[in-house]
Amino acid sequence: MPVFDQGYQHWSGELSGHAWRWLAITRHGVRIGSQSRALRVLLLVAWIPAIVLVLTLCMWGLLERKSGVIAPIMQFLTFLHPEILADPRHFRIQIWTICYDYFLLTELRFAMIVVLLVGPTLISQDLRFNALPLYFSRPLRRIDYFLGKLGVIFVFLFRVIIVPCVIAYVMGLLFSLDLSIIRDTLPLLLYSIIYGLLISISAGVLMLALSSLSRNSRYVALFWLGIWFVSSVVGGILDTADREHRRHAMYREMYPPMENQRIHTPNGRGRNQPDWMVQLQIREKLQAEEAEAAKRNWRPLASYTANLSRVGQQLLGTNAAWEKISELTPPNQRPRFLHDFMGPQYPWTWSAGVLLGLFGLSACILNFQIKSLDRLK
Amino acid sequence: MLFQFEGVTKTYGTVTALDNLSLAVPAGAIGLLGPNGSGKTTMIRMLLGLIPVDNGSGEILGMDFRQRQLDIRRVVGFAPENECLFPRVEGVEFVAYAGELVGMSAKDALQRSHEVLDYVGLGEARYRKVESYSTGMKQRLKLASAIVHDPKLLILDEPTNGMDPAGREEILELTRDLAHNKGMSLLCSSHLLPDIEAVCDYVVVLGGGRLLTQGGIQQLKQLHNRCFEIRVKADLPSFADRLSALGCTATISDDLLLVQIPDGQSPQMLWEVAREQRQQIRHLRPQRSTLEEVFLKAVEQP
Repeated sequence: MPVFDQGYQHWSGELSGHAWRWLAITRHGVRIGSQSRALRVLLLVAWIPAIVLVLTLCMWGLLERKSGVIAPIMQFLTFLHPEILADPRHFRIQIWTICYDYFLLTELRFAMIVVLLVGPTLISQDLRFNALPLYFSRPLRRIDYFLGKLGVIFVFLFRVIIVPCVIAYVMGLLFSLDLSIIRDTLPLLLYSIIYGLLISISAGVLMLALSSLSRNSRYVALFWLGIWFVSSVVGGILDTADREHRRHAMYREMYPPMENQRIHTPNGRGRNQPDWMVQLQIREKLQAEEAEAAKRNWRPLASYTANLSRVGQQLLGTNAAWEKISELTPPNQRPRFLHDFMGPQYPWTWSAGVLLGLFGLSACILNFQIKSLDRLK
Repeated sequence: MLFQFEGVTKTYGTVTALDNLSLAVPAGAIGLLGPNGSGKTTMIRMLLGLIPVDNGSGEILGMDFRQRQLDIRRVVGFAPENECLFPRVEGVEFVAYAGELVGMSAKDALQRSHEVLDYVGLGEARYRKVESYSTGMKQRLKLASAIVHDPKLLILDEPTNGMDPAGREEILELTRDLAHNKGMSLLCSSHLLPDIEAVCDYVVVLGGGRLLTQGGIQQLKQLHNRCFEIRVKADLPSFADRLSALGCTATISDDLLLVQIPDGQSPQMLWEVAREQRQQIRHLRPQRSTLEEVFLKAVEQP
């Protein structure tokens, strides 16, 4: 028995409007999600790439200022082209872009794990415990419910992707002490944020749709792993198979005629062209062909993360940054450089189309699976 | 009026759930009765502003139910029939969350949550995970989450479903207190007529999507001027035989004799027969319809 039982008391407080009702669901979901120790650890680990990004941008700022602080570590920066070291400010946009691209690529993996830990229970547990009547008998629309649940995923991804981007940017600014950096790099920050939002919305809606398909969150987690890993593996296999096919075709095409080519020596005795020369020719031709094929290679589309990554590269302008950097390499080495560092070059709209299709499919699933109380039994 | 509908029709495909329903119900404790498929659930959904109707108009707490659905749900509390929970939370969080979903601030909702949990008798279990609650505790938890925002109208769908007698009595006591002492209007849908009779003052009986009858329970349970319940000390069968011989219809029911006296006779004849047979009448009162009879009579209407 309570020590002081005051019975039922009327309440005359103010109720908030409908516009922010979804926020209550988000707040509740974040509170519940934060109780997971695994998630808390992951959120900490996910900050490691962010710390690396911050350090890199700070170091770059010091390099631009030719600060004495950086002198002791100059010997470790020999992997950078001397022209870059000589005039770092000239390559500022490209270096920042590449740093952000690597960071976001790493955080994309972390984001997938965060969604895996946060998302499966969001709707499946509501279905399992029949919570929907409790939601929809209150002044709540279905869109509020979806937004609230999406908000939970968004909050955690915001901490992993967008907050580090902004902090790294501010730190980079502080260490460069050059106002022109804002003009140069502000679009990069904006596009990074847009990319972070894109990942959050795409992965969030997809996870909610999966979560609405089963009352068992373990199955949902398996679905998610399937989409993430299996699609990546399938994309990788298709891509490798295509590359191997091209290589074999090239060898078949190049080897027979070359066997007949003989280098004529003064004594009149011919000898076969050395094998390494054939290999070199094949490699060069292969690189040229792969560079051409990369522009219409659709195979990465099978991978969910590759699609996100491709759109991200387009937003950040990563390929353009690598092209600019490649100008520092000798012309004959440039294709190889680009081949090694540039990402997929097929039209980004293909990936955007795939993501849009997944979004539409997810929205349809959610619309079908989550019925408001008027259609619930 | 608590709510009123005029000519409301709602169909689901070929099934007519509500058929030109017109009714006006005053504030108070209302029992909603009807056989399965009579339209009770559809009516509750309509009261929550959840369904669009095909025809008709109506108001709930003075608000047009076709236009102000969200406003209606702000002032209505609902405890569904089936077991439903917000998972992975403690009791106090559960109720506070229910309050936040209605629009209460987090602080108010938490404070209010403690109050209503004390009221429904879950104060000691407030920090337990709701999944570990017993059926009775879950029903009380649902009641607490339905009243956390102090609604003007509380809708309970089978509130004592699956509960043991003691738990059932506790829930009925709470709902009775809310309806009669706290000024909260109550709509209670149940198949258990004693529950309705214990809590409500007014009933609405639906059947086939139509209104079969409505009114105050005491009015509906009309007095029968010519029918009496009698208990005598000695030989009930011989007393019944004598009354039958005098033209009465006498039926023995347990230790009671249900007697209908013929036209032109007064209850005085019962005393005269008792004196004649040297019987002591220990109990005599005019017969009154039970709610079950009212319900069955309404449902059997063509």
